[in-house]
Amino acid sequence: MASREDLYEEAVRTHGAALDRLARAYEFNPDKRLDLLQDIHLALWRSLASFDGRCSLRTWIYRVGHNVATSHVVSDRRGRSQHLLSIDEVDVADTSGDAEESAERSVAMDRLMSLIHELKPLDRQLVLLFLEGVDAAAIGEITGISAGNVATRIHRIKKILTTRFQGGARS
Amino acid sequence: MTNDSDFKFCEMWQQGSGEPPRFTPEELRGRITRFERTIKRRNLREYLAAALVVGIFGYYTWVFPTLLLRIGCGLIIAGTAYVIYQLHRRGSTRSAPEDMGLRSCVEFQRSELARQRHALSTVWSWYLLPFLPGMVVFLLGLFEFTMQVSEAAGRRFPIGAAIAGFGLVAGCIGLVFFVIWLMNRRAAKNLQAEIDSLDRLTRDPA
Repeated sequence: MASREDLYEEAVRTHGAALDRLARAYEFNPDKRLDLLQDIHLALWRSLASFDGRCSLRTWIYRVGHNVATSHVVSDRRGRSQHLLSIDEVDVADTSGDAEESAERSVAMDRLMSLIHELKPLDRQLVLLFLEGVDAAAIGEITGISAGNVATRIHRIKKILTTRFQGGARS
Repeated sequence: MTNDSDFKFCEMWQQGSGEPPRFTPEELRGRITRFERTIKRRNLREYLAAALVVGIFGYYTWVFPTLLLRIGCGLIIAGTAYVIYQLHRRGSTRSAPEDMGLRSCVEFQRSELARQRHALSTVWSWYLLPFLPGMVVFLLGLFEFTMQVSEAAGRRFPIGAAIAGFGLVAGCIGLVFFVIWLMNRRAAKNLQAEIDSLDRLTRDPA
């Protein structure tokens, strides 16, 4: 088994960018985002001492990242009393802008980020893992959500993304 | 999840995010130090507040003329010491558990919610109740002392008015306790609803 330092190096090399995107999706404020990212790296580094290969390193990294970020959202939400939505509560059709505008990538990304920030932690995890290209079985393993529920929710996520952001994804 | 449109969404999400920040071991160690400093500051604030309460009621124990008042002050001091011990033991700001990668997101979130629900549903017994004996004895002592002073001055305080006055104070304290209990119960119920909805996600729909 590789040392903790080696595992951490590998984690940063293979998933550093994904963790950065994860932090962006959980925190708008740049200073707080950097703090959150540092917390994720710290938790990852500490946790790798008990990594025993029972799951893949990718599953481990995403679990730590999302668990730390969820704790951050929950404690931050307590202060702001923001009501977060479940994926079932999100309108499939976008009402905040037109499809032509969404065709521009930067606009589409901003709106996608706004949509993600409105979601409850578990739905946020699902959307982010889907966007990172993680397959349904691995999403189930990382999140602990049953295969049937993953399939139902991914289907809805795809429907929302296709309706709202088809143009941005094409450009 | 491998069709062309899905791939394009993933590509849009992943492209152009730039070089992610890297953290040196020194920066991560600095983060631990800052975290520990925050905990120390919080503990210090709690100890100072407790020292203030103990100081004030310790002084009262010395200067108050009746045994009942002194016992009340002593019980409030004991209650404060117990609450501080419990706050220290249950400290809510914790570093991330090392087994975080072993638990799925649902398991982790569920255990965090269950921990908060437990803290809320037991807050009555460790945060409010320890002050109650001291407050009751202190109020009775105050009542006894008021009657003694008014009698010594030759102007007997109307017993009905005295009972009504102290009853009002006791009622206000009781109301505050009741409202806190009610709010905590509601918050614990909301947390339980969140836990139930997480549990539903781990089972396939029938």
